[in-house]
Amino acid sequence: MKRRGFIKKAATATAGAFVVPYILPSGRLFAATGAQLAQHVVMVMFAGGVRQQESVEQTYLSQSQGIPIEGNIMYNMLDGTAPTQKIVYGTDGNLAGDTPIPQILGSTIQQQGTLFREVRSSHAGHYGGMNALLQGNTLFSQGLRQKPINPTIFEYTRRHLGAPASKVWFVGNGIGNSTPLMNYSNHPDYGAAYGANFLAPNVTFGSQGIEHLSDAKIYHPEEELDPIYQMKYFLDNNFENIGGTIETIYNTEEEKQSIKLFMREMYNLGGNIAKPPVSDNGDLSTVGYAVEVMKWFKPTLTVVNLGAVDACHSDYTSYLKALHRADHAVGHIWNQIQQIPEMAGNTIMMVTPECGRNLTPNPIKDENDWLAFDHSDANTQRVFTQMVGPNVPANLVRGGIGNQVGETADNCPTIAEILGFKADVMGTGLISSTAQSLFDRI
Amino acid sequence: MKNVEMKNVRRHSRSKQSFAVRYLFLFILFPFLITTIGCEKDKLYEVNEETLLPPNANKTKLKSDQQYIAILYANLFQTALSSDNLFEASECVQSIGDKDLVHEVLISNYMNKPSVVLPTNEDMRADVDAFITETYNRFLVRNPTEAERQFFKNYIITHPNVRPELVYFSFALSNEYQYY
Repeated sequence: MKRRGFIKKAATATAGAFVVPYILPSGRLFAATGAQLAQHVVMVMFAGGVRQQESVEQTYLSQSQGIPIEGNIMYNMLDGTAPTQKIVYGTDGNLAGDTPIPQILGSTIQQQGTLFREVRSSHAGHYGGMNALLQGNTLFSQGLRQKPINPTIFEYTRRHLGAPASKVWFVGNGIGNSTPLMNYSNHPDYGAAYGANFLAPNVTFGSQGIEHLSDAKIYHPEEELDPIYQMKYFLDNNFENIGGTIETIYNTEEEKQSIKLFMREMYNLGGNIAKPPVSDNGDLSTVGYAVEVMKWFKPTLTVVNLGAVDACHSDYTSYLKALHRADHAVGHIWNQIQQIPEMAGNTIMMVTPECGRNLTPNPIKDENDWLAFDHSDANTQRVFTQMVGPNVPANLVRGGIGNQVGETADNCPTIAEILGFKADVMGTGLISSTAQSLFDRI
Repeated sequence: MKNVEMKNVRRHSRSKQSFAVRYLFLFILFPFLITTIGCEKDKLYEVNEETLLPPNANKTKLKSDQQYIAILYANLFQTALSSDNLFEASECVQSIGDKDLVHEVLISNYMNKPSVVLPTNEDMRADVDAFITETYNRFLVRNPTEAERQFFKNYIITHPNVRPELVYFSFALSNEYQYY
């Protein structure tokens, strides 16, 4: 009997050892199928339509305004010396913008990681581009102010990795157009239940948020919130909802409480948050709050959307300023990640513009008589991608002019590979047939 | 004499006529009685088919952010929210992805305002029935069912820490309140 009992216990323990890792807190029955390259991913959807000429090609004014001055205005991300004349992109000194923002990083992202110099952007517009980055697909029929059609990387992460809602964040630069809709898709197998926590901090913690949200009571979890939820659940059970479902991303009550405490903390800080050293535009403020989100929640996946360079439609000088600040923002994010113990050395950051901009200008001139650029021609399909972090080859450049390596839709399967569920994502059949992990393109 | 005979003949003739009428009547009535009484079937009473729905089932349209905020504000403050404030508050709601969460934050923010119109705890406990009816009318625009009334009555009586603010909060968070 003793021997039989021993065998029974040993068999149970062995079976348990195999089964338990596959029963995740979310209730899913399949754990990540691959090894993780890092436990955290931060993707910066960079800046809102960036020309290759002023970014990786470092031509400054020479290939935009016909002024023979070249140089690198993104020296946290890219190797290269800054322009020496006609400096307009910095902070104000004797002249407007004449003082470049000091470099944050000791060595550039290019030196620390891998640069894909020429990546194909599959869409000429912001939201098509963002959709490609987030969905790994290129559905051109998707309209403005519509939820993504195919699942986003947020939903893949939550469903296939079992990540709770508070570990997946989308920090947006505002609530205009499609931005607040990108945190989950309409796909019937995914959708809101696997969505990311969206936050547009410049609204939530801006003047509107201070007026309408900052005075919120923090109720006692057991003595006050419990009865509220019990009565609400009774009412919900009695409501036969025949008018459709209410979409929710399913933060647990504990997660909701944590988010409310985070908001309270942000209001208490009154703007004294982890902003970059220079924070004189909306993108830099957004990045400051994104860093606070990382410090508080240590997310598995954080996506930050920047958009100030879209000023290029009508103001080239503002575009240069915004591009310089977007580089400053990326340097700051990478710097701050290294100061969060749970994320330092365990985070891969990706940076990709959602689309490029035109080769030829439109007729609109700014204060310096410089011409502006829209995004609609073939040059718009030229962007770059940077990756940095553990398991990413350092100081490696792939592709070049006339030799595109990768596409914007690659970012989704790349993140899936980093977090260890690439096979799941590729197996859905919902990814573009040409998209693949950038690690497979190195 | 002749007259007497004549009367007798008439009387006889009349009785003959009435006898014939009687038989004629029976002759007509008999088949009728046979068909109506003899062949009477069991009566089957039916009702029209009706789909029975709970009293809240007619709410099928989801409120927009602005509708939710405007109605919430009116329910809590018994006055309308200005259009500027409504616009700003709806922007705040859009800025946070978890709508349940932002509704909680918005409601708790309103609950902190001194002008919110709430019954006192004493008023609620003095007449729980009236409080429940008033709360259903205010938030869900209907009367409670007997089961709902009983639940809230028991809940309020057995939970001394429950105050009108918490009851109002739960109604404003409920799924039914999201619809109209």
